[in-house]
Amino acid sequence: MIRLIFFNLIFLMWIPSIIKSQSIVSTKHNLSVTGPGTVKAVTETEICLFCHTPHNSRPVAPLWNRNDPGATYTLYTSSMLQALPGQPDGSSILCLSCHDGTVALGSVLSRPTAINMSTGTFMPAGVSNMTTNLSNDHPVSFAYTAALATADGQLMPPSGITPPVSLDNGRMQCTSCHDPHKNIYSDFLVATSQNSNLCNSCHQRTYWTASTHGSSTRTWNGVAPDPWPYTEPAMTTVAQNACESCHNPHNSGSNVMLLKYQAEESNCNDCHNGNVASKNVAAQFAKTYRHNISNYTNVHIANEPAAVTNMHVECVDCHNPHASRNQAAVAPNVNGFLTGVKGVNQSGVAVNPAVFAYEICYRCHAGSPGAPTPPTPRIIVQNNVRLEFASGNPSYHSVAAAGVNPNVPSLIAPWTSSSRLYCTDCHASDGASSPAGPHGSIYPHILKRQYSTADNTTESAAAYALCYGCHSRTSILNDVSFGEHSKHIVGERTPCNACHDPHGISSTQGNSTNNSNLINFWTTIVSNSSGGVRRFDDQGLYRGRCYLTCHGENHNPLSY
Amino acid sequence: MNKFNAFLSCAILLAMTQFGFAQTIVGSAHDFSGQSWNTTTEICIVCHTPHKADVTVADAPLWNHSLSEVLSYTLYASGTMNSIPGQPDGSSKLCLSCHDGTVALDNFGGVTTGSNFMTGDALVGTSLSNDHPISIDYDAALALADGGLHDPGTTSSGLGGTIAEDMLISGKMQCSSCHDVHNSAVGTNSLLLKSNAASALCLTCHDK
Repeated sequence: MIRLIFFNLIFLMWIPSIIKSQSIVSTKHNLSVTGPGTVKAVTETEICLFCHTPHNSRPVAPLWNRNDPGATYTLYTSSMLQALPGQPDGSSILCLSCHDGTVALGSVLSRPTAINMSTGTFMPAGVSNMTTNLSNDHPVSFAYTAALATADGQLMPPSGITPPVSLDNGRMQCTSCHDPHKNIYSDFLVATSQNSNLCNSCHQRTYWTASTHGSSTRTWNGVAPDPWPYTEPAMTTVAQNACESCHNPHNSGSNVMLLKYQAEESNCNDCHNGNVASKNVAAQFAKTYRHNISNYTNVHIANEPAAVTNMHVECVDCHNPHASRNQAAVAPNVNGFLTGVKGVNQSGVAVNPAVFAYEICYRCHAGSPGAPTPPTPRIIVQNNVRLEFASGNPSYHSVAAAGVNPNVPSLIAPWTSSSRLYCTDCHASDGASSPAGPHGSIYPHILKRQYSTADNTTESAAAYALCYGCHSRTSILNDVSFGEHSKHIVGERTPCNACHDPHGISSTQGNSTNNSNLINFWTTIVSNSSGGVRRFDDQGLYRGRCYLTCHGENHNPLSY
Repeated sequence: MNKFNAFLSCAILLAMTQFGFAQTIVGSAHDFSGQSWNTTTEICIVCHTPHKADVTVADAPLWNHSLSEVLSYTLYASGTMNSIPGQPDGSSKLCLSCHDGTVALDNFGGVTTGSNFMTGDALVGTSLSNDHPISIDYDAALALADGGLHDPGTTSSGLGGTIAEDMLISGKMQCSSCHDVHNSAVGTNSLLLKSNAASALCLTCHDK
């Protein structure tokens, strides 16, 4: 019994010692014949000599026993990179004397002939063989200075870099993340990569801690593809995989930002396809009308100007994956999903981050090249959405400013004439259970409900479901505001869109007499009156007159 | 009685193991009796003399070889090294009296006109920058600071005692920490203190 207790005591004392002070002997870096890995010597028993020799080393610490690869490496570049990585130096070039695949593994200075290796002369192809192309690997061999941290804005200053993470002579090197002698956390990492603990030692991402990607406990449902192919199987939640849900520090699929996949949206889609995230956003992009994220690759540039000049759209143009979180907001403020995204404000000035949701839409829809042209030919043509919603306009939907018309009797509670709108109140995925936002819709212009625009449309709740969502069909058809609504919409089967320009009319083009109540006639349907005039005149509350010809009816003018 | 027999057997086996690594300088790289430059044909005399020894180096074992006059060796440096090696001292100076290549091998016993110098792998030279640092105070504090070294006061050397007892001299790491100049048993040329199979010698101190 005493013997058993004694044995247990010894065993218990031994366990922490193997955990804390694991030896190189039991790692893949034991390249001797006794090593546990597949890459190892045929007969050589010594371990240290694959890298070190006590005498006549190369004049490089730590007593290096290998030749310099002498290679020229292709380096990582990125529009966001403030660091200036040079050709690998310091400890990194030592690591590369095996890991670039150009130097024979068994070639050491202290042996007259190369040590015979069981898997061939060089590092076998795979993740351990980084080749001389380091463009898809985390940069190394750059001075990690306070100035760099300041310039980047999201890096820990070097004074805050503490063990186990370290700089080598003030420079970031392979050894900043890897300890070649200890493989406690897999991949010879100096700290656990769970919750991106290691990455966070340097990368201090703004918003990250509160973000969904940094905190979600959601797990993968097991349906291929595996969203986390590179991390430890024990890391099962979004929060645990953290950075590596999207990024891969070595042999990444995209050189830029070290993302898993070259196509930007692919990095989002393998979680946001119903397999991890609660809503299937990817499915929205299969619909006919969509922000066509799959149409562009490597066009988006992380540090591009807020006002997009190079036509494209990616998930990250509207969402900041380091910041996005599930938090409601009241229009026009950005909600949690749009946290930390740059935008263009109502004055046309770049803002970062956007405060109001429409500022994100203005990145492209306020005069950027390639933005969709207005689908409806009207008397006043305006393709800059920012100008359509400006507060000085004669009329506009209250996206960017409080509404100008206090008398809108059709509004369904809780909407009032002082309510503010999001663009996404009209432009969003169709379907009640679809994820919010203008991802994709079965309706043109990514409208979330049907908005029939064809002339001679038979009026129904469904035909104008978009408008009737806020504007009471009963009120409209009972002619509460415009006394001839019913006659036009039901009787003449004229679509809403024939008279109303739903965004607004810019004060640079229209005026409050002719363009109140979003009146801006569709010129294909509405032609001149017999007097050669095509105009609306506001004549006070619920009163006005029209000069036009429509469906053969001459208004020259007709008043109400 | 049986237990006693078992103990005795173990003791004998252990003793035989020791005999197996017969410690002798004869026939080793340090056996200079057959060298043309050693006209005495003696073995020990190149380094030692029973009388009139050089006492310049403290605790030198009856030194008979001319000492190197090099005062400033280029030392090993590394950004990850916590120890601060000084100029070689103690017994390491005795080793360097041949191995730094500045003193003729045949400059012993008062002879100063020798002309045979160290060559080959054994020539360490006056630049020690590519050699394992020596003349280092190696104690528990260094081990703690480094994080990759064993505490010499409590860690077994594998030679019967602790690292401090068996491998250090006055608490210092010296050439003799790894090399047994009289022992040809472990590597005829490298004269190691213990076998380095599986890098056992390195890993005695290095907690890697």
